[in-house]
Amino acid sequence: MDFLSNYIYYIGAFGLIFIGLFIILVKHNLIKVIIGIGILDTGVNLFIVAVGYISKGTAPIFSKSGLDAKNMVDPVPQALVLTSIVIGVAILALALSLAIRLYQHYGTLDLRKIKEQRW
Amino acid sequence: MVNPVLLIVVPLVLAFALPLVGLISKKNIKYIPVLAFLFNFVISLLLIPKVLHQAIIVKIGGFLPPFGINLFVGPVGILFSTLIALAGLLVSIYALSYIKEGSKEKYHILYLLLLTGATGVVLTGDMFNLFVFFEILCISSYALVAYLGNKAGIESSIKYLIQGSVGSSLLLLGIGLLYGQLGTLNMADIANQIHSSSSPSIFVPMVLMITGLGVEAAIFPLNAWLPDAHSSAPSSISAILSGIAIEVGLYAVIRIIFTIFNASSFLMFFIFLGVLTLLIGEMSAFSQKNIKRMLAYSSIGQIGLIMFAVSLNTQYGVSAGLFQMISHTLGKGLLFLAAGYMIYRSGSMDISSFEGIGKKMPYTSLAFTIGTFSIIGLPPFIGFASKFMVIKAALAKEGIIFTVLIGLALIGTIIESAYFFRVVQVIYFKKGNGNQVRKEAPITGLIPMFIFALLIIFIGVYPNFIIKILNSAASELLNRIDYIRSVLG
Repeated sequence: MDFLSNYIYYIGAFGLIFIGLFIILVKHNLIKVIIGIGILDTGVNLFIVAVGYISKGTAPIFSKSGLDAKNMVDPVPQALVLTSIVIGVAILALALSLAIRLYQHYGTLDLRKIKEQRW
Repeated sequence: MVNPVLLIVVPLVLAFALPLVGLISKKNIKYIPVLAFLFNFVISLLLIPKVLHQAIIVKIGGFLPPFGINLFVGPVGILFSTLIALAGLLVSIYALSYIKEGSKEKYHILYLLLLTGATGVVLTGDMFNLFVFFEILCISSYALVAYLGNKAGIESSIKYLIQGSVGSSLLLLGIGLLYGQLGTLNMADIANQIHSSSSPSIFVPMVLMITGLGVEAAIFPLNAWLPDAHSSAPSSISAILSGIAIEVGLYAVIRIIFTIFNASSFLMFFIFLGVLTLLIGEMSAFSQKNIKRMLAYSSIGQIGLIMFAVSLNTQYGVSAGLFQMISHTLGKGLLFLAAGYMIYRSGSMDISSFEGIGKKMPYTSLAFTIGTFSIIGLPPFIGFASKFMVIKAALAKEGIIFTVLIGLALIGTIIESAYFFRVVQVIYFKKGNGNQVRKEAPITGLIPMFIFALLIIFIGVYPNFIIKILNSAASELLNRIDYIRSVLG
């Protein structure tokens, strides 16, 4: 039980990453694949936040007295995740707009039927 | 002294200022990329002598490394930024009259962003910063592949996007794992703390990062997107994707292997992977009937050769690999630009539709022929000098295995010459039907081709012109101690 409560964020993060990869590899509907990309992104973001998180930690504000540097949460991963969320949004938006155009051309979102380009 | 940060800032600012200029005069926005990359090219050339003397480290915001983000403008960085600016300048001149359909404003914004991302990747000294610039490069290239909006473009763009975004998630995961262990994002500081890459806690992030970047670098099992994306983008973008984007991906892989992880014990694996990539690329190119797909597969082959040369892990081998990169950028850039107008005038990407084009479009055909000869490696073109150097480097590394592998690489070259000579034969020696009117390419299309061809011949005849910067670039990649010391002081 101790293991679970200590590592729950990491378990959750890698769970999300594997769910995302599974969806991307297995599903045939383009929208589902895009959802998979979103879940994969979320998993990676959760992992990076978990790297810097301390349970019951505080914000790293040194000007406030009475705060111990040991209990401060590392702010760098949170800054990274903010950037990475923005990038993720850009990718999802572009993917969805491409999906709309793809549907206009083919009349379907089934990736098995979209096969004009091949080796 | 000029601050090298301008190399990134100027194209980035101009990209976002471009719609504002568009409000005043819609006609003149197409000259903005030309201005931006002319500026970058001049600045890069001015910086070269200083950088060869000593690497410039730019501390952004005045924070000392390893705390702030720093740019590391060493010989490798300046070599690539000059190459990017040169290719960007020539292709933007080409695009002045080539890009006619679609929303031109968006094309030029994305084009500027793509090359900003590429310049950022080669100059940065911070791991997460590298990821951000890499994403700028990737997202704008996804959008540019779909620029024409036709069936093929949209389909290849979505394929590229799915594979690319999985790759960048893996890269970010690798960066997160490294940050969790070492508590730093500065490349020199990470390198300082890693002494050997065989322990699993270092090996796993390395594999994740190389796999993630390998998607963009088109290393063999990860390159399924490349032939589709390169063949359905507009030709000017194909030239940039093939000449710049995959090479920047390969640069990032090389930087990670050599400088950050010091993974010289795994290089044998990359040598085999390089030869495999080369053979698969060339053999797939041989069976293509579509000219742009053929050129795209040939790029995969070239990437394999570059990987092979760089993974030899000798001073001479790494310089040969970098030389081959320059030769590929110039040669493939020229080929895609020439093929762009040949496709435009004959209305089809089929090689057989180029019959008799040699008489109707003499200059474009001549440029295409120079490009093919250079890529194959005939003297006196640049391809000969670079391939010769690769072979010499492989033979200098003693061991029967290298001789066998370079033999396989030369078989790849023979296949390459077979399919390229076939195209040249169709262009010059097959009679087309005389009714078709095929004009020569316009002057803005011919100038960049002419400059590319001139550079190919000039450096091919006189390779010592760039050998000094290649040598110092190779020693920067091989001496990680110097890299760490020059950043951390």
